[in-house]
Amino acid sequence: MNLQPIDYLIIVIYFLFVIGIGFMLKRKIKTGNDFLMSNRSIPLWITSLAFISANLGAQEVLGMCASGAKYGMYTAHFYWIGAGFAMIFLGIYMMPFYYGSKARSVPEFLKLRFDERTRTFNALSFAVMTVFSSGISLYALASLMHIILGWNFNVSIWLSASIVLIYITLGGLTSAVYNEVLQFFLIVLGIAPLVYLGMQKAGGWEGIMQNVNDAKLHVWKGMGSASTNPMGVDAFSLIFGLGFVQSFGYWCTDFLVVQRAMISKNLNAARRTPLMAAFPKILMPAIVILPGIVLLALQNKFTGFELPKNVNGAVDYNMALPLLLQKLYPSGILGVGVTALIASFMSGMAGNVTAFNTVWTFDIYQSHINKNASEKHYLYVGKATTVIGILVSVMTAYVARNFNSIMDLLQLVFSFVNAPLFATFFLGMFWKRTTSTGAFWGLVSGTLAAALTYGLTVAEGKGGWLAHIHEFYSGTSQAFNIAGIAFIVCFLVTVIISLVTKPKQHNELIGLVYSLTPKQKDSAKVWYKNPIWLGVMVLVGMLILNIIFY
Amino acid sequence: MEKLFDLRFIIGGFFALVGVILLGYSFLGNSAIDSVTINRWCGIVFIVFGLLMIFLSFQNNGKDE
Repeated sequence: MNLQPIDYLIIVIYFLFVIGIGFMLKRKIKTGNDFLMSNRSIPLWITSLAFISANLGAQEVLGMCASGAKYGMYTAHFYWIGAGFAMIFLGIYMMPFYYGSKARSVPEFLKLRFDERTRTFNALSFAVMTVFSSGISLYALASLMHIILGWNFNVSIWLSASIVLIYITLGGLTSAVYNEVLQFFLIVLGIAPLVYLGMQKAGGWEGIMQNVNDAKLHVWKGMGSASTNPMGVDAFSLIFGLGFVQSFGYWCTDFLVVQRAMISKNLNAARRTPLMAAFPKILMPAIVILPGIVLLALQNKFTGFELPKNVNGAVDYNMALPLLLQKLYPSGILGVGVTALIASFMSGMAGNVTAFNTVWTFDIYQSHINKNASEKHYLYVGKATTVIGILVSVMTAYVARNFNSIMDLLQLVFSFVNAPLFATFFLGMFWKRTTSTGAFWGLVSGTLAAALTYGLTVAEGKGGWLAHIHEFYSGTSQAFNIAGIAFIVCFLVTVIISLVTKPKQHNELIGLVYSLTPKQKDSAKVWYKNPIWLGVMVLVGMLILNIIFY
Repeated sequence: MEKLFDLRFIIGGFFALVGVILLGYSFLGNSAIDSVTINRWCGIVFIVFGLLMIFLSFQNNGKDE
């Protein structure tokens, strides 16, 4: 890909705006609360867009396009089954507890509901997970820039890390959130013309239907068995593993996204944040998956659209989006497209770093090291944590460069941590009998069960380091099943231990458990301010999309 | 002055500026017709979107939705 001066000019302008936002917000940051929690003052439209943008990192933009080329429309399940329901559940049922409890983070909620050890277990695993995720994002950005633009790996790493460091250190979480909104528009407006050009070249939807294997143009056809659809997943694994465990585990308990709703101005806005975000979310396949499907049609109609092979000799689907940018975009708009790609990486990295510094400062430093320091002190700790988080991310990126397989390993560890967490929250919020001991050992055993399942099963040559008792059709199927097993084990262990240990007094659980909390009536008369109505509209939207692409 | 710190103003400013660059390039560049067309249309769309965001930043005083 050959960039011209105009393309570089657009990239430079973007960098200047991103840093400018940090400088602009610097004067508003005076306390640790301003820096790490935005003082709970961010308007709804910003929190909603930041909510989906925090998830719109490199894995989403590059990965979903790659999955679109590999699995076709089935990838849309990650949105229509794997996001919508959980976002509705978060907005309607869980957000009142998160926001109403005044917890500053998800681990802090665990402390209020259970105890300090459950909070610390979650805080430590989350802190490690986010900082390594940020490093993986950085590594992926530098590798991609090196491959498609010929940029030096070291320059890409340090330039991107420095820009993210500057704007977060200056403006804290508010700066990250503001940039996420800018990045959201840039990603959508930067990739939408690519979809249009690709569709036009492919001959519109008719052309796609004629040139793409019909098996890749549906979302439910062939889901009766793992062997009859390109994703290699059966309907039960999909609905339970992705639609329930993974989806709810991520959207309802991952502080990276939940944090965006927790900084809303009031409870109603916090509840509506994931619901408003769900509308653009269920339409995102048009931007991130469709290009992959368009590529399949173009491969069938023209030469020169073949994907390169990776080091293992397999087709490198991750190059789907860069290939389309190279083939379809001329200079000028190419600069916008490449900037959108860079923005997605930076957005993912910044989201992880801001979640890391909040959890580290509040749930580890303040909780275990220095309990009663001034707000100013926690501001400095937050800033220092940001610097350390970025440096660890850079180190992770270099480690990943030398040991490529570490990326797979880390991704895997993340799934072990996230999968059982929803069981802990679900029981904690909806069953008053759940005890602190039950929650802690449930979490630990769920995580171990995930690791054990991976060690005993194989998919696409991965896993089975203990024994080989089952082989899945695909890695996706394996991941869904691991999540399902981790959830069930965590759920059962928590219930069994809770039944034989002493629960907290009811008065300690008001505002933390559904049945013990007075129901708040939402006085909003207008439909767009009512979370229930918004949830129903999202459900109807998802239903229509599932029917259209059945 | 406070308007300059409104996020809508910043986003509007960014897209209007990039739009002007794309539009200008479509007139100045010696590229193929297809390149000129896509840059011109994207430039126009970006400018319209940018101006809309700037306009919105001057509306809704005190309201956040």
